[in-house]
Amino acid sequence: MSNYLEDLAQSVIVGQEDRVKQLTQQAIDSGADPVEIINQGLIPGMNVVGARFKVGQMFVPEVLMSARAMNGGMELVKPLLLDEELPTAGKVVLGTVKGDLHDIGKNLVGMMLESAGFTVVNLGVDAGPDKFLQAIKEHKPGIIGLSALLTTTMLSMKDTIEVLKEEGLRDKVKVIIGGAPISQDFADEIGADGFAPDAASATDLCKKLLA
Amino acid sequence: MRANYTVNESVQFRILSEGQISEIVGAAIEILETTGAVFYSTEALEMLKQAGAHINGNRARIPSALTKQALQSAPNSVGLYNSRTGKKAMALAGYNSYYGTGSDTPYFVDPLRGERLRARYQDVANAAKVIDALPHVDFCMSLGLVQDVPRLTSDRYQFKAMVTNTGKPMVITAHDIQGFADIVAMSEEVAGGTTELRARPFLVLYAEPISPLQHPKDSVDKLLFAAEHGIPVVYTPAPMAGATAPCTLAGTLASGISESLGGLVIHQLKQAGAPFIMGGVFTIMDMRTTIFSYAAPEFNLLQAAQTDVAHYLGLPIFCTAGCSDSNVLDQQAAAEAMFSILVTGQSGANLIHDVGYLEYGSTGSLEMLVMSNELIGMAKRFVRGIRVNKETLATEVVDQVGPGGHFLGEQHTLDYMRSEFWTPSLMNRKRYDEWKDAGAKTLGDRAHEQVLNILAEHTPVPLTKQQLDRFDEIIRNADQRHGYQ
Ligand code: B12
Repeated sequence: MSNYLEDLAQSVIVGQEDRVKQLTQQAIDSGADPVEIINQGLIPGMNVVGARFKVGQMFVPEVLMSARAMNGGMELVKPLLLDEELPTAGKVVLGTVKGDLHDIGKNLVGMMLESAGFTVVNLGVDAGPDKFLQAIKEHKPGIIGLSALLTTTMLSMKDTIEVLKEEGLRDKVKVIIGGAPISQDFADEIGADGFAPDAASATDLCKKLLA
Repeated sequence: MRANYTVNESVQFRILSEGQISEIVGAAIEILETTGAVFYSTEALEMLKQAGAHINGNRARIPSALTKQALQSAPNSVGLYNSRTGKKAMALAGYNSYYGTGSDTPYFVDPLRGERLRARYQDVANAAKVIDALPHVDFCMSLGLVQDVPRLTSDRYQFKAMVTNTGKPMVITAHDIQGFADIVAMSEEVAGGTTELRARPFLVLYAEPISPLQHPKDSVDKLLFAAEHGIPVVYTPAPMAGATAPCTLAGTLASGISESLGGLVIHQLKQAGAPFIMGGVFTIMDMRTTIFSYAAPEFNLLQAAQTDVAHYLGLPIFCTAGCSDSNVLDQQAAAEAMFSILVTGQSGANLIHDVGYLEYGSTGSLEMLVMSNELIGMAKRFVRGIRVNKETLATEVVDQVGPGGHFLGEQHTLDYMRSEFWTPSLMNRKRYDEWKDAGAKTLGDRAHEQVLNILAEHTPVPLTKQQLDRFDEIIRNADQRHGYQ
């Protein structure tokens, strides 16, 4: 049985969704432990991907392919698991702040978080404090991530944090921020819980905050 | 820079064949017709509908005939003037190349402290002053984004910092349509009135679509405003190959150019014949760091290819050069700046911006700007090529000097040495000992000194007290409208 796990991990690494699904199905049919499929097949594969990306050996689209492959397997295993066995790194609500239309960076953060096992709710662009507030109530995320690429819109981040305070939600959720004009200093100034300069470090940051 | 005297002396290049160009243009027109684009503007959608486009919600599919009509009506040359002298400073057409800065970097290298700080009013004022002094920088964009003034009206302050420090033509960014309206009002004050500004425009407005295939409300408003006021506008897509455009460079060109053409169509529908400049920052997303590269070789290919397409379409072209992905002014910055400066010059791009950008458009640097000025000088000399005629072949002089003589004392040498040779102002040609005795300064050190010299010594032609008072009034009103003070 053990080499199916290696094969599975390998197929995640090379991003072959069909193959991952096929191997996962075979394993399920032959009675393998679903938790084992995940923890010793799918996740180790994705961990290798993460490590290779970090050192520059893999490119973003390859990471996304691998994540898609892993999720293909996950979908098959999930129905067999109890809720508490479901592996999720946590839930993150992401949005580009009010007045700002730069979204590709934020979307990339979302995709990389999903690749790392987070559940991501993407609010799109032009998301003001109200939209975040509503999403927090609805989705109960561990983290909200705000993206701004303009100095004119970055203040909306502060507004959002203020609104959370007013609503008594500030200590229920971590707030992280990013985008071209954002810095750690600015994050400290407005009382955000973290800042990351790119998608890969955003993933590390989320892991750290929810650990 | 002026392209060559005659065609056969040219050292310019084209990287696309005629056939490739027409395939790319064909694909761009096809994208507009079959995929279409979204326009977040009821006015634009209404005009498109009237003109025969197929509208579905915000999505417009634009028939090729409409695109071709817009290409026909758009002028193929745009003239820009010096706001102080009233003289024509740039003729954006054909292979004429002009270089200038980019706008709105959140960070700026403080010329005194050498640190990367948030850009302030004084940084933009300094940038404009340096631009005013540099011989090879022809136009001004803000370089930095002013952040020590009220945020929502910072565009007016930024413009003031620019126009009070240089008479060179400028490309203007604004937060929104009110920002533009205020800046145009300030410009009319400088030009001496509405008709004067129209007759001798010294500014170009700036607007951008969002790749892929989206034309946001603010940008469309800006385009239509420009068309209505007869002020030239650049409509500049920023497609990133592999992320917001296909990964292949041909696909990025087709998709980005379809965005340019989509903007052109509504602009020309609003006012046929209004001045429009195509082009933008087409590049790749780095697949490891996710940056939008301002210097990759693919970026340079895309600049050159866009220019080829613009020449074919007969539209003036906005391109990008003199910028770097390096975080500081170092060897990488110099290599990358030279690369794009030479490529755009050889391609014959017209309005070439972003000179002075470091950190992929996040940091402005005056040292990068003066260094690039030097590189532009070199590139201009190169593009001017070798003039071959009886006089320059100089067989008579050779005959006079004969074997074993020298040319230092010849009138012919005196006549030609300043025009044939480019004279460096920053590049080192000192012999080792002399250089060492002078402090063993690197190019970066020398660029820094030149910045300090210009800041200390250059005085731009000032505006009148009346003009400045009027600026302050416009700015005060804007601040009040936004609830500042
Ligand atoms: C592409 C681009 C655009 C595109 C955006 C298309 C899109 N779909 O997003 C277009 C052309 C539409 C555009 C428009 C404008 N832009 Co713009 N744009 C850029 C550019 C060149 C690249 C941005 C980009 O996409 N990079 C690639 C992505 C993948 O990286 P990223 O966005 O940085 O995201 C990464 C990290 O920042 C981080 N991150 C991002 N979000 C988050 C969120 C969290 C929670 C975390 C942890 C991390 C994180 O992770 C991401 C992935 O690694 C930058 C230059 C620059 N230096 O960034 C200017 C830039 C951001 N733009 C700028 C400006 C001025 C504008 C305009 C105002 C121009 C104008 N006057 O019209 C308009 C504004 C429109 C609007 N209302 O939003 C300025 C910003 C200055 C400022 N601070 O205010 C910049 C810096 C360029 C410049 N010097 O002029 N722009």
